[in-house]
Amino acid sequence: MLETLSLMGAGFVNALTPINLLMMAAGVAMGIVIGCMPGLSAAMGVALMLPLTFTMKAETGLIVLGAIYCGAIFGGSISAILIHTPGTPASAATAIEGYQMTLKGKAGKALFTACYASFWGGLLSCISLYFFAPLLAQLTLKFRSAEYFWLSIFGLTIIAGVSGKSITKGLISGAFGLLLSTIGLDPVTGAKRVMFGQAYFAEGINTTCALIGLFSMSQVFILAEKKIVERAQATKFTDKMSLTRDERKMIRPTIVRSWLIGNIIGILPGAGAAIACFLGYNTSKQFSKHKEAFGHGSIEGVAGSEAANNAVTGGSLIPTLTLGIPGESVTAVLMGGLVIQGLAPGPELFGKYAAMTYTFFAGFVLVQFFMLGIGLLGCRGFAQISRLSDAILIPCVTVLCCVGSYAIHKNILDIVVMMTFGVIGYLMRKFDLNTAAVVLALILGPIGEKGLRNALKSSGGNPMILFSSVVCWVLIALCVVGILSPMFMGKLEKKAEKEATGADPESPDEVVDIDVEND
Amino acid sequence: MKKLLALALALCMIFALAACGGGGTSAAPAASGPFKPDGPVTLIVAYKAGSGTDGPARILAQFAEKYIGQTVVVENVDGGSGSIGWSQLAAADPDGMTIGVMNLPNFNNSIVNELGTYTTADFKAICNHVTETSIVIVRADDDRFPDLKSLVEFGKANPDTLKASTNGAKASNHIGAQAFAKSAGFSYIDINAGGTADQLLSLRNTESDFTVVKLGDIAGQESAYRVLGIFGAERDSRIPDVPTLGELGYYKDWLGSSRAIVAPAGVSDEVIAFYEEALKKTMEDPDYIAAASSFDTNFLDHTATAALIEQQQAFAESLGDDFWSF
Repeated sequence: MLETLSLMGAGFVNALTPINLLMMAAGVAMGIVIGCMPGLSAAMGVALMLPLTFTMKAETGLIVLGAIYCGAIFGGSISAILIHTPGTPASAATAIEGYQMTLKGKAGKALFTACYASFWGGLLSCISLYFFAPLLAQLTLKFRSAEYFWLSIFGLTIIAGVSGKSITKGLISGAFGLLLSTIGLDPVTGAKRVMFGQAYFAEGINTTCALIGLFSMSQVFILAEKKIVERAQATKFTDKMSLTRDERKMIRPTIVRSWLIGNIIGILPGAGAAIACFLGYNTSKQFSKHKEAFGHGSIEGVAGSEAANNAVTGGSLIPTLTLGIPGESVTAVLMGGLVIQGLAPGPELFGKYAAMTYTFFAGFVLVQFFMLGIGLLGCRGFAQISRLSDAILIPCVTVLCCVGSYAIHKNILDIVVMMTFGVIGYLMRKFDLNTAAVVLALILGPIGEKGLRNALKSSGGNPMILFSSVVCWVLIALCVVGILSPMFMGKLEKKAEKEATGADPESPDEVVDIDVEND
Repeated sequence: MKKLLALALALCMIFALAACGGGGTSAAPAASGPFKPDGPVTLIVAYKAGSGTDGPARILAQFAEKYIGQTVVVENVDGGSGSIGWSQLAAADPDGMTIGVMNLPNFNNSIVNELGTYTTADFKAICNHVTETSIVIVRADDDRFPDLKSLVEFGKANPDTLKASTNGAKASNHIGAQAFAKSAGFSYIDINAGGTADQLLSLRNTESDFTVVKLGDIAGQESAYRVLGIFGAERDSRIPDVPTLGELGYYKDWLGSSRAIVAPAGVSDEVIAFYEEALKKTMEDPDYIAAASSFDTNFLDHTATAALIEQQQAFAESLGDDFWSF
């Protein structure tokens, strides 16, 4: 216990180096910029920045990724409040009350509320990270091949959750990803599989390049296809960015409720910040003493939505770090970064790598403070950035995609793979297929294959080994929950969205005009 | 405002581009006389930064700068089970400005498995850097196997029952387990755990019964495992009580892994002589020795290293289907 505490303390000491602090500030700022631009999503931002972190020290790289993640989730609220367009789907509910406040000339107040609530949501979610992650990591000591097989199946059930409207299309995307994951050397016999005569493919498809292509490059194609239009002028606001003591006191219970909701949603696989913001918003409405203010610019509404979506960040890191099961698309991308930095999910996280892990945790806590500071100081500037024309954005992102994938191995084939996946991602989105499902399958496929084949090998082909331990049964139960919960969650989200907006969420005059790509 | 932003973004990209530049230095080959590099020397490592190969290579590079007289840049060219990096090294200009680390026997396996288009003839040996010896281990609390004999007897009495975790199908530690079991005359089930860390985890969580790793792999956690035997002609001074496999009548040759420093085949003998001398001095440097305590430095001259590469190649090629079947 004492040892753990000292490790936690040492984590803060390690995180407080000038370079780490600089990187936290840069990461948060970058995240906010990406988040507040309606064309760019959090997952895309993390994918784009991934290669830049490879040259950094492992903990610094991880902190930067965490900072971008938090910043992007908060950043979405800026454009939601000022131009009525959520920068990421995670801020869709914020737009409802936030824009009403802007119309009343209270944009400063709305932005302050968003920033303040995001800060507390994020900070409180760190508690669960410190508390649950070590427990879960300890559990993985009991994992053998059969358990790993079920774990990957459990992870794959998330596909049902991230696939939005059509589960069938989600499954098609997942199957496509699984097929791609078989490329490379056979894990049991060492035979070469679909390698096109290229040693390059011996270790399978480079996940990072695939990610950049699927999330970032495909978005460029989507943006390029549309007519370039000037975005609505961001409302200039003159009111002070602050809340009175009474107002702060008023939103306190809302923040705590939204933290709990967001945190739990974050830990659950398949549910992300987009759902959390609506649930947080609705709960704040239900419990509010000022229900009449809702729909006309309620600070409780803004706080409820923003605290919930940022509480998701800490929560969703738990299964990603400990089990290697990313619960949503941003953490799936983050996972690529973790693995490359040598942070293997499992018990070693708090054993051999404890110093690095706790430094990352401490950095994640500190990032919240940077988010508060930079968010409050830079809101006016970020509002301008959110109007950046696609004509500038498209070439910039394209260059970053190419440079990023080339920088990993300095291999031109990586750019070819990235571009190929960019085209695949573009086509998939045209057909409403799900790119996040492909990535999940690409990451989890090899774990599942190895688990199943090793388990059967050690039992002499007897499939009963897959049901031979308590952990197996627990995982099987989780798989069932994993399959059923998205259906339940989907209903919940629709209901919440309906209640929140008071209209059919798919009606065209509604606020959400961005892809319903879950992140 | 907009122009400013565009400018900022452009700057950001230039920065990113600059970050992946570098390493493109060219140098004229020394016409005659003793070779001396006239710019930064690139040391290609075929595995990623932070990997088991990368760490020792970086320590060598750091202390070698004093004797080489130039900066030594470690370039990680990973992928394709090492073959991407070795392909790049084989194709590098033979001007003495690019050298690399060759992992034995992984390098030889990549040739046997036709992952690369190179052969041993595409490289010239400079010297050997690290040699690690394989050992057979079980869990320290596994009372069934106090010694190697009990493990073998159990294996013979119960064919296809003992499980051994490996670091990959037909990878170095799988070869070790196979060589041991075959020479002792029992059959087992191999579990590909992924990497060495996972291999040890699989042993610890009782999925596997025994495993073969390198001696350095269990450094710092010796109490968790019992070392039953070591590959090689002689016992190791660090674990003098552990018998060699040969002593007990099993596989009698040395098995393990080595890391050689090599150059593309076209380099002149002066280049080889220069680096051989410089790296020898590096490995004798007290500062290097202090920094390199976590692995086994083993300097061999270029002739001995070339012989080791060929011997490992012959061994890798001898591992046909007969070796892998019982």
